[in-house]
Amino acid sequence: MASVANSARGGLRWNIALVAMAAVMVANMFFTFMFAPTEATSGHVQRIMYIHVPMAWLAFLAFFVVFCGSIMYLWKRTAKWDDLASSAAELGIIFTTLVLITGPIWAKPTWGVWWTWDARLTSTLVLWLIYVGYLMLRAYSANRSQGARFSAVLGIVGFIDVPIVYFAVDWWRTQHQRLVLGGLSLEGDLHPDMRLALLVSVIAFTLLFGFLLRQRVSLKRVERGVREMREDAEFMAEGQR
Amino acid sequence: MIALITTPAHNIPYLFAAFAITWAVFFVYVFFTSRRQDELEQEMESLREEMRGRDGDGDGGGM
Repeated sequence: MASVANSARGGLRWNIALVAMAAVMVANMFFTFMFAPTEATSGHVQRIMYIHVPMAWLAFLAFFVVFCGSIMYLWKRTAKWDDLASSAAELGIIFTTLVLITGPIWAKPTWGVWWTWDARLTSTLVLWLIYVGYLMLRAYSANRSQGARFSAVLGIVGFIDVPIVYFAVDWWRTQHQRLVLGGLSLEGDLHPDMRLALLVSVIAFTLLFGFLLRQRVSLKRVERGVREMREDAEFMAEGQR
Repeated sequence: MIALITTPAHNIPYLFAAFAITWAVFFVYVFFTSRRQDELEQEMESLREEMRGRDGDGDGGGM
């Protein structure tokens, strides 16, 4: 009885969180299209920043979760850490893909080219390839535990590219804009209203990331449960033969 | 500080494309994960039925 009440309370809390996330996302749309001022030289296209920068932040966050989950998996060897790391890797690839799509869409009208092999863009592409490799390693490993182990090592080593991507615009001369998020960004680079709109967008998409990660981890758990049931069913069938 | 002016209209399709693609990717991802969830629930149910059936056969055979 108590567990039913707890589950109902959990469901209610989850629904409230979903409604709150939807409200923040609507507020984000308002801040992006109505509140944020239009940039002087490139015009409305600069509003791509409110989606491009949060995607980059979430890719970094997702790969940080992969890094932590991978360390915990190698230490504890419990499936829940592997589930967390692999779910975050999947989401990190989606966010990096969106960075690599929205970036060129923004670059074409502002730089005149879709792509240039500068340090920021190239290191981001390398980041994407590293984590695609992470998922391929899992998919093509001889068995699940080997795949989880090898990919955990790649998840830790691959994270080295994240600071390289972040600091690339500082370390090398690049075509890409300077830092707009984090301690090293310059205060005067952005209009205060643009900064606020960007912050709202980062919060909204971080909530979306939390929702998607939770869903993906719980799906991994169900996949594991079905796999175990299938093995039990096969074992029972063998026993009856 | 950036001076604020009105916008060149020819840039709007780029803005639309960036937002449309991003949201399309999210919706497609959520669609596929929820479809996978449904498939797994169905598979779990059929495995449960199968195991219940085998349990029943085993009991019957033992009597």
